Amino acid sequence: MAPILKLERLTRYFAGLAAVKDVSFEVEPGGLVGLIGPNGAGKTTLLSLVAGSIRPTSGRIEFEERELTGAKSFQAVRAGIVRTHQIPKPFRTLTVRENVEVGLRFGRQEKAASQIKKTEEVLDMVGIAHLSARPAYLLSVGDLKRLELARALATRPSLLLCDEVCSGLTETETGLILRLLCEIRRAGTTILYVEHNLRAIMSVCDPVIVMNYGQKLTEGAPGAVQNDPSVIEAYIGKKAMM
Amino acid sequence: MEQEAAVDMTEAASSSRSLPPFLRSMGPAVLLLIVLALLPLAGLGPNNIRLLFVTLVWITASVAWNILGGFAGQVSFGFAVFYGLGAYTTAISYNAGMDRFFAILLGALVALLASLLVGLPTFRLKGPYFAIATIGVSEAVRVVMTNLEITGGASGYRIMEQGPFNQHLHYYIALSLAALAVATSMLVRYSKFGLALLSIREDEEAASDLGVNPFRSKLMAHALGAALTGAAGGAFVGYAAFIHPQGVFGFDISVAILLMPIIGGVGTVWGPVIGAVVYGLVHEELIASFPEFHLLLYGLLLILIILFEPGGVMGLVENSFRFVRARSSVGSHS
Repeated sequence: MAPILKLERLTRYFAGLAAVKDVSFEVEPGGLVGLIGPNGAGKTTLLSLVAGSIRPTSGRIEFEERELTGAKSFQAVRAGIVRTHQIPKPFRTLTVRENVEVGLRFGRQEKAASQIKKTEEVLDMVGIAHLSARPAYLLSVGDLKRLELARALATRPSLLLCDEVCSGLTETETGLILRLLCEIRRAGTTILYVEHNLRAIMSVCDPVIVMNYGQKLTEGAPGAVQNDPSVIEAYIGKKAMM
Repeated sequence: MEQEAAVDMTEAASSSRSLPPFLRSMGPAVLLLIVLALLPLAGLGPNNIRLLFVTLVWITASVAWNILGGFAGQVSFGFAVFYGLGAYTTAISYNAGMDRFFAILLGALVALLASLLVGLPTFRLKGPYFAIATIGVSEAVRVVMTNLEITGGASGYRIMEQGPFNQHLHYYIALSLAALAVATSMLVRYSKFGLALLSIREDEEAASDLGVNPFRSKLMAHALGAALTGAAGGAFVGYAAFIHPQGVFGFDISVAILLMPIIGGVGTVWGPVIGAVVYGLVHEELIASFPEFHLLLYGLLLILIILFEPGGVMGLVENSFRFVRARSSVGSHS
């Protein structure tokens, strides 16, 4: 099967500093791919590049066998790529329902894998249907994270980019979100999941890509990656290995 | 673009959710329109009709500004550009023998084109930088018009009225325009386009991440606001018969157009109307009583509103209702 997403030597400099450098990998359709790495490894920058929030300095992005390099974020959404933000960015004075409607009405309009039709369906799926009439600024952190996911799902993506949807959540909430991600994947949406919480990612993702200092360190099954000396070194440092 | 608009309309009509708020504000609006249409026939004096006429022109400009400034959250200090261009275009075309209606339409069109010219570079700027850029554009246009000889420069431009002066005609033109502006504002507020504008106001980046094209939406809101403001300028010049750059392109016009929605309640459908009524009624009194200080008073008013009631009159009313309701429910529990 052709990969849904293909990155070729993707690079982004910020004032001389390479936040992402020569990263290449492919994502198979239907996968739940984890993207991990220590702080400052360039995970979020990579996500922003794929989502069109920022432009690459060089390299190529190919999505569903179409060139998508340099597309703006709203163009990426219409092509079928959507992202969530680590720190939720709700439309504060709009209601939860209106927040989701933005994604529903401006996202991809043709039929997609996820087949989501109504705001209610999305809110139900994510578990915030009871909050639909509430303005977003009244929501708790956990519910904001769910809203972030709901809005993204409403755009009917075939590739969902999740940026640390579990950070700042309790164990129980994390479990619920992870189960939700698996459900979304089963419904046919491919997921690229950036996460700091290793345990969360190891439990649901396959394969896992590891980044360090803006570059791809390794890639493989969760078990193999976890025992890779270079990964352990990146996370804990050399001394601890001895 | 037209296709999208057509989809919006059918969606608005078929969706049971977006209709009620729309219809609810329709009733009072139609009633108000009828009352205003009958007022001149009820033997109102010419001076009162003049005051109402001016207020209606202000309402049009205020509601127009709110589409960009209130719904999309893009604060422009440059709407005098569109008001002035509309006024001058209408005046020149009318003098050239064009029908009054088409002259105003042309004024709106010129203002719309100008809005694209201003918007294309300035909407690449965000937040305060956009606001500052509009001040620059506005002042530049005023200076050019002050020195442009074919329109009489600083000494102004006169309209040659064809036929006897008919105050009622001007009143009804202004009333139709104000009604058109309010109707447009309502349609925008409850449409797909309006949802895009609100999302941009709340978080432009997040809006784009969900498929909204912020640049195009802002450009369209700007164009809509500019066209209506240009028409308001055109209606005004028909009545005034004489305009000069300071009068229609002046910075105080830009400030007035921005102040009215803020007084009434920025980002709401009726706030800008209320603000324009307040402004229209007290403006002349203030100038007469405090010729040196009236701008200072507006500045003070602006500070007070932003500090204590950012929602303007609409916010004040809403909060009072909530307060009374809360008090009464506390009372019933005890």
